[in-house]
Amino acid sequence: MAHPSQLGFQDAASPVMEELLHFHDHTLMIVFLISTLVLYIIVAMVSTKLTNKYVLDSQEIEIVWTVLPAVILILIALPSLRILYLMDEINDPHLTIKAMGHQWYWSYEYTDYENLGFDSYMIPTQDLTPGQFRLLETDHRMVVPMESPIRVLVSAEDVLHAWAVPALGIKMDAVPGRLNQTAFITSRPGVYYGQCSEICGANHSFMPIVVEAVPLEHFENWSSLMLEES
Amino acid sequence: MAGEGEEGKTKSFKLLGILDIQNIPCARGAVLHGSAASILVGLGHFLATSRVKRSFDFGVGGFMLTTLGSWFYCRYNNAKLRMQQKMIKDGLKNKVMYEGTSLDPTRK
Repeated sequence: MAHPSQLGFQDAASPVMEELLHFHDHTLMIVFLISTLVLYIIVAMVSTKLTNKYVLDSQEIEIVWTVLPAVILILIALPSLRILYLMDEINDPHLTIKAMGHQWYWSYEYTDYENLGFDSYMIPTQDLTPGQFRLLETDHRMVVPMESPIRVLVSAEDVLHAWAVPALGIKMDAVPGRLNQTAFITSRPGVYYGQCSEICGANHSFMPIVVEAVPLEHFENWSSLMLEES
Repeated sequence: MAGEGEEGKTKSFKLLGILDIQNIPCARGAVLHGSAASILVGLGHFLATSRVKRSFDFGVGGFMLTTLGSWFYCRYNNAKLRMQQKMIKDGLKNKVMYEGTSLDPTRK
C-alpha cells in the first residue's frame, strides 16, 4: 500500500500493473534524457560568445528536430499500445463481481453461484483499532481468490463514482445506467487499497475500496460465512 | 504496518528529481555507463582537437547515446528473463497440478 509522502507507484500486485511499471520506467528514462539535453542546451546558449544576426534557415537542424521527436514518440507509443491491447484481452474469468457506487459507499455482489451481496463502508477514524489505516479501511472487504482471473462490473446507483485500486493497475468509472467491465489477476495474496476516483459529493474522500486476495479455500470459507450472515 | 513496504527497497536517489536510479532496474547501470562514455568521449575529443565547447557537446552526445543503448540492452535482457521466469512458474504449477495425468507437461 502507499506510504507517507510517496511519489511513485505502489508495488505491482497484478501482471498488468507490472507491465505499466516497466513502461513507466522506460518513458521516464526517455524524459530524463530529453531533460538533460534541454538543460545542457540552455547552459550552452547562455554561455556562448557566438552571435550571428544573419542566419535565415538551416535544413539540417530542421530535419534533426523533426525526425528525432517522431522517433521518440514511436519509441513511446509502441509499448504503450501493446499494454493497451494487453489490458483488453479476453481472459475467461473465474468469477464476476459487481461493484456498485453509492453516496458514499461501495456495494459488492457475487451472483455467479449464490446471491451474495454486501455494503462496504469506510471505518470512521474514531473506530479504528491500532494498526489500521485511516480513511482506507472498510467494514467489509471485497475478497477474491488469488491467481484467478476476476471480472468486475462497475456501475453506480446515483452519481458518478470511480472504482480504483492502484496496486492492481485498475481504475474504472462508475456511471449510473452503464456497466463498465474491467478484469484483473492478483499475482500474490494480500490486501490492496484504493479510493473513489470521481468527485461524488461531500464524502467522496471517505468511500475507500479494499480488495483482499486469499487462497481459494479461504475464499470459499469466507463466502460461506458471508452467506450465513446475510 | 505502514512502513513495512519501504524496508525491502533501498533509499531512493533521484537524478534531476525524477529518475530513481536505486530502485529502477537497469537505471543505475545505464547512467554509470553513460557517464563513463561521456568522460571518455569528451576527454578524447579535447585531447585530439583542444576545442573545449565542442568536446562538451560530444561528451553530452556520448552520454545520451550510451545511456540509451545500455538501458535498452539491459531492459531487453531483463524482459527476456522475466518472461522465462513466468514460463517456469507456470510450468511448475502445471506440473504439480497435472502430474500423472494426460495433461502432464513433462509427458512426451
